[in-house]
Amino acid sequence: MALFKVISGRLYQAFLLLVVMSLIGFVGIHSVGNPVYNIVNIETATPDDIRRATELLGLDQPLWRQYLVFVQNLATGSFGTSYIYHLPAFELVLSKLSATIELAAFAILIAAAAGTGLGLLAGTRPGTLVDRMVVIVTVYALSVPSFWLSMMLVLFGAVMTGWFPSGGRGSTVDLFGWEWSFLTADGLKHLVLPVLALAIPNIALIARLARAGTVEVQRADFVRFCLAKGLSDRHILFRHTLPNISLPIVTIVGLQFGGMLAFAMVVESIFAWPGVGKLLIDSIQLLDRPVVMATLTFVAITFVALNAIVDLLYAVLDPRVRISA
Amino acid sequence: MKFSARLQSASLRAAAAAVILLAGSAIPATAQQLRIATSYKLMTLDPHFSTLNENTSLLSHIFERLVYQDEKLNLQPGLATSWTRVSDTRWEFKLRQNVRFHDGSAFTADDVVYTIERIRSFLKPPSGGFQAYTKAIASVSAPDPATVVIETEGSQPTLPLSLSAIFIMHRGSEGFATTEALNAATSLVGTGPYRFKAWRSGETLELTRNDDYWGGRPSWSEVTFRIVESPAARVAALATGDVDIADFIPARDVETVRQRGAKVESVPAARLNFLQFELGKETAPGVTDKSGKAIANPFRDARVRKALSMAVDRSVIVDKILSGYGTAAAQFFPNGLAGTSSNLTPQPARYDEAKALLADAGFPDGFKVVLNGPAGRYPGDGETLQAVAQSWARIGVAVQPVGVSFSVFNTKRGAGEYGVWYGGCSGEAVDVCLEAVLKTPDAATGAGALNYGQYSNSAYDGMLEKARATDAGPARDKALAEVTDFVMRDEPIIPLYHFHHIFGYGPHVAAYVMHPRGWTTAMQATPAAN
Repeated sequence: MALFKVISGRLYQAFLLLVVMSLIGFVGIHSVGNPVYNIVNIETATPDDIRRATELLGLDQPLWRQYLVFVQNLATGSFGTSYIYHLPAFELVLSKLSATIELAAFAILIAAAAGTGLGLLAGTRPGTLVDRMVVIVTVYALSVPSFWLSMMLVLFGAVMTGWFPSGGRGSTVDLFGWEWSFLTADGLKHLVLPVLALAIPNIALIARLARAGTVEVQRADFVRFCLAKGLSDRHILFRHTLPNISLPIVTIVGLQFGGMLAFAMVVESIFAWPGVGKLLIDSIQLLDRPVVMATLTFVAITFVALNAIVDLLYAVLDPRVRISA
Repeated sequence: MKFSARLQSASLRAAAAAVILLAGSAIPATAQQLRIATSYKLMTLDPHFSTLNENTSLLSHIFERLVYQDEKLNLQPGLATSWTRVSDTRWEFKLRQNVRFHDGSAFTADDVVYTIERIRSFLKPPSGGFQAYTKAIASVSAPDPATVVIETEGSQPTLPLSLSAIFIMHRGSEGFATTEALNAATSLVGTGPYRFKAWRSGETLELTRNDDYWGGRPSWSEVTFRIVESPAARVAALATGDVDIADFIPARDVETVRQRGAKVESVPAARLNFLQFELGKETAPGVTDKSGKAIANPFRDARVRKALSMAVDRSVIVDKILSGYGTAAAQFFPNGLAGTSSNLTPQPARYDEAKALLADAGFPDGFKVVLNGPAGRYPGDGETLQAVAQSWARIGVAVQPVGVSFSVFNTKRGAGEYGVWYGGCSGEAVDVCLEAVLKTPDAATGAGALNYGQYSNSAYDGMLEKARATDAGPARDKALAEVTDFVMRDEPIIPLYHFHHIFGYGPHVAAYVMHPRGWTTAMQATPAAN
């Protein structure tokens, strides 16, 4: 019964989120401008062409009616057809998903492993040179804007050294109906720079969290008891400290992974990586409302799902959560 | 003996054939592959969906037109070898023989009929841009497989030019092909030099050579377009050798590209960017006197327009903002292209004269204007607004430059919210712009589609109609030049510049022939000898 309550509460939240988000997205795109000007050739089209195209897309209707039509279509499982590509909007989003998933998954795996490692390293040695280095470097890595970091990676990794390609996905392999880059050597080479661009700020973020947690936990009584009992440093670190600092890290990893799936648009644009973020930003620029709405809905669902997974992980990692629930 | 000799020679021949075959099969190892980073996103595979270069440039590898427009904008035979105007309203096109579609079927006059019918009667908006080109056609028929006869509504001397926009599709067995079916790429057959291989929307277009092409074997065995919207990413891809050609390189990156060993080509675009005025209304939005009080629309006085035009420093825009990759303008197309006037040349800024003229018109202290424009749509657009503001400040006109995104700009311009703004016009011929920007707007004929300021000059309208009714050739070009001379004396717009298309290419490409329409195709690239 309690579980049912939790789940229904979650679903209700997700529903509210979707409604609010769709309204904001709808009104936002509408106030930016008229997408017809991106579809017809404004330099040759007659006012009549523009008027007919506007009518066909239903853009001559008042906004509330357009929204009702959108909701009606949604009830039948359709987000409509992309104004620009003339393909079903949600299919278009799904077709970009594999590119984004492999990019985000690699980036978050690297970030979680390297960040936690660095954080533990620094946190167990507060005040030493290693600790100070980690603190300083992570501040820089966090403050650097994403587009600058990406440009620098292109400059050093591609233009100056020629080690890695400057953009694109490289060759892909078809698996489960999706194209994957990481299964080919060429695709892996294309992955390196954008993965680094996404991972570096997250390594820094996670390292700082892990360091702060470690410093705090190392001072806790139970660590001293462990030491008094004669447990090895290594055992204390991995069996006792790590689980204790992992809650905020898991939270951040979940959130950042969701962010990468949806909003890696800067990195995806600079590396011409055809993912969901690039589709979203391109669609916003072209005012391709069906695709924007489909992408935003996908993003919202992803975030709700990820948060649920993070909550579940809490219970796995921390016995106290299990007891209180 | 005789028999064995024959046998021997036969086996020799077979051996020779085998050697040739082997040698032949060795060639693909050094096959010519071309990789292009393009800004054109190729929205759909339906060749009749949108007239934007975004679509037509890439699809011109697969589909062909009856008539082709060369890099001087002159018409050349495409799928039609010749065309004649039999009577005032009747055209006859002779079609090229021995042309085959990619599925092996022969190209006939019936395919032309099908194509025109598909555009005229099957496609619905928003995919209706091409109807502008078929509007003048009353009927189309195919008396024999090699001849197409087109009847027009009234005299249409530029019908071949209109047809130079239309890709010929193959009449399939199941009625008109839908855009959805074409996007699924199950029946994408044209007559073009390259065959369709794969398309991922917004990502890539892959093509292979059409070995049976009527114009001889195309130069490249494989062509891959990568859609890269970010200019910096296109430059990086070219600089690192990830691609062989990158289109639309920002002028400021030309040096970088050259330093990395790539070559750069540019051509003045067959288009104009200009300032346009609200002329229809008694007051112009955003125009006030210096204290902010409303004033009568100053732009309705030709002297004011002339003064403002004289006070624009075009050399700053061309040299500084566009880094030399722009041409100062005095008319719609760059001087030298068909239909342009040699009398009109861009003048340097003359501030004193302009100020005196403005005083003459009753504005010795100038006035205040909001100058609107799109930001990031055309090369140099946002910076140009700033440069004009500085220039006009010198004759006492206080300018507030406002750049917004292109769709917002269009929405507001269409709603009549602007007093003076930055616009653009392009077309397959100069009279397209003369008609769209300066002719009195008329919803029925579609004239004046870009004449948002309601400029109206009946003498000009009459002259233009007469010039456009003239048969293609020197007489028509001369008439259009005279019309341009006549109308520009009235200063209906302020011509600013023709920006240049800038393309870069790497070592695998020996030469790239630029097209003023800004097309990006493999056909324009010659492979470098190995």
